[in-house]
Amino acid sequence: MGSEASSRPGVRVGSTSEFSLFFHVKPGHGEALHQALRELQDAPGYRPGDYEMPIASIHEARFVPFDDDTRLLFATSFDGPWDAYMEDFAAKPLKLFDSIFQHVVGYEGLPSLQAVKDFILSAQQTAGGYARNYGGTVKEIRKAITVNDAFQEVLDDPEAADALQHPALRPLLDVAAD
Amino acid sequence: MNSPTPASPQSPSRNTEPTEPTETTVPLEIDDIQGGALYERPSPYVGTYLLLQIHEPADGRELIRRLLPLLEPGPASTEPRSGAWLTVAFTYEGLTVLGVPQESLDSFAPEFRQGMAARAAELGDVGASSPEHWEKPLGTRDVHIALAALAPDAADLESVVARARRAQEEIPGVEVIWRQDCYQLPTGRTSFGFKDGIGQPAVEGVGTPTTRRGEPPIKAGEFILGYPDETGGLAPMPTPEVLGRNGTYIVFRKLHTRVAAYRQYLRDKARTREEEALLGAKMVGRWQSGAPLVLSPDEDDPELGSDPGRNNDFGYTSDLRGFKCPAGAHARRANPRDSLDHEMSVDVRLHRMIRRGTSYGPMLPEGVLEDDGEDRGIIFVFAGAHLKRQFEFVKTQWLNDGIFIGAPAEKDPLVGATDGSGAFTIPQHPIRRRLPDVPPFVVTRGGEYCFAPGLRALRWLAELT
Ligand code: HEM
Repeated sequence: MGSEASSRPGVRVGSTSEFSLFFHVKPGHGEALHQALRELQDAPGYRPGDYEMPIASIHEARFVPFDDDTRLLFATSFDGPWDAYMEDFAAKPLKLFDSIFQHVVGYEGLPSLQAVKDFILSAQQTAGGYARNYGGTVKEIRKAITVNDAFQEVLDDPEAADALQHPALRPLLDVAAD
Repeated sequence: MNSPTPASPQSPSRNTEPTEPTETTVPLEIDDIQGGALYERPSPYVGTYLLLQIHEPADGRELIRRLLPLLEPGPASTEPRSGAWLTVAFTYEGLTVLGVPQESLDSFAPEFRQGMAARAAELGDVGASSPEHWEKPLGTRDVHIALAALAPDAADLESVVARARRAQEEIPGVEVIWRQDCYQLPTGRTSFGFKDGIGQPAVEGVGTPTTRRGEPPIKAGEFILGYPDETGGLAPMPTPEVLGRNGTYIVFRKLHTRVAAYRQYLRDKARTREEEALLGAKMVGRWQSGAPLVLSPDEDDPELGSDPGRNNDFGYTSDLRGFKCPAGAHARRANPRDSLDHEMSVDVRLHRMIRRGTSYGPMLPEGVLEDDGEDRGIIFVFAGAHLKRQFEFVKTQWLNDGIFIGAPAEKDPLVGATDGSGAFTIPQHPIRRRLPDVPPFVVTRGGEYCFAPGLRALRWLAELT
């Protein structure tokens, strides 16, 4: 297990907490690991520009092999306190990464919940520093993008300037100039 | 070690597919499990909760001996043998005083060992709900045994209580330190006017009928210790096995409801009686009759509400955006059913609970908007194998928070731990309605985490030295 001081829970900014796992790659599995990562990168949701990862509560995810492929970092930002979701990880998301975790020490298909917990806790390290450039959960950000797209569409309408004169639309007019 | 488990805890069965039935079904030892958790008592009923303090461990054990023949496992008989259906449970302090060895005490769930009062900050029991304001002796080290007695009518109940009194005179080392009467109305309705107790998990191997077609029963190990659960393994079970097996954790909370304030709030936010009823339903996810919004979005349907074959037979996938039932409604928060499945972040089956709540205090007469000063509300009772991932998860992640629905500024509009600054959003065409600053309608008066052992375990406790 990781030392109590550096482990659990992640640093939280607003609704979101950082979550980083540091693994040891099984000896000789470096190339296979890279192959699994390339396959993940080709999967729907992970292709550059897809923006629809299967797990709806993470902002982004990265897998970073380092130290000559002897180590692997998995780093993400999670909406909510991730430790409350430990059992849920075991049930669903961890399975998505099965072909990657095959190549790290301590992952034997995670036969039991205790094995999953031990696996995660032994790899988790809490950040020494963590900051975010925007607030909001993934769901709120997605909603905000949808709303902004709709707003831009309104602004493209030749009638928009007149329509936005209504007092109820004042906050929108205030952000319409650029 | 949790030894004789026919299904291997190593079984990888369901980590992939939460709904697929598992390989083995382990028969439940129904005869050893206290009936109150698994089986509903016939409604209507009246009841009383007694909290006892053990001054003399030997007398505490004597009490258990005398209770044992009165406990009836299995489905509720229409005529309870002793006049009342009894359930007995212990706090951590209670087990300690009875003489349970330290090693065994240490094997209980950490939240149980801490007790509910110590969990107040996590649970949102702050401000008016904080333990310093709790009704004494709730949340103190004096509460050792919790005894629930439910009876078909008041006369039966009184005779049971009278007999218990006499028995107690012969065992003076056990003192009744709190009594709370409760009841269930024939309509099943509680103080805010809503029928309650509808949404319950079907438990595998118990034989109670499934009320939601298409949803496989939840593994018995989610509720009773010693059986495979939804993870394919076993819930951590207290040792020795004789003590842990067939037991269940019980959460019991006395929740005061501010009914007049709630009614006044609805009145203020609605123009007509119909709007009032709709707003009330949007907050709960069901109409007062129990009819689910998803099945009857525009008006109450009392026939649907009272039909057990239909009133729980629904999911939310046809209403992901919440136009019928808001994502923030109490019942949808407390059990999001299939609405989060596509998000992959959460497995709803890991966060279910059996509820055995009852009403206390007189109902506020219909139409009254002025507070009459009476204490009324719900004795919320949970039964499950996991205090943390069932009760505490639902309370903290789903009721007291809104991150999971993308609304961190919102809490459960009816029961969320709120300082009155939370909002409630009702999706509707053409424009969503957002109610800012929903005031608190529920105040925690106190509660306890308890453990309800199986019958063999009770015998073991009675024989401790
Ligand atoms: C005074 C406080 C409360 C009141 C008045 C209340 C009322 C209700 C009502 C009217 C329903 C809908 C009827 C039904 O499906 O049975 C319901 C459902 C439910 N409540 Fe509560 N409740 C309260 C507190 C709580 C708490 C504290 C929890 C959990 C920590 C909780 C968990 C649930 C669950 C799991 C359901 C069933 C949801 C489903 O399966 O669809 N409730 N409650």
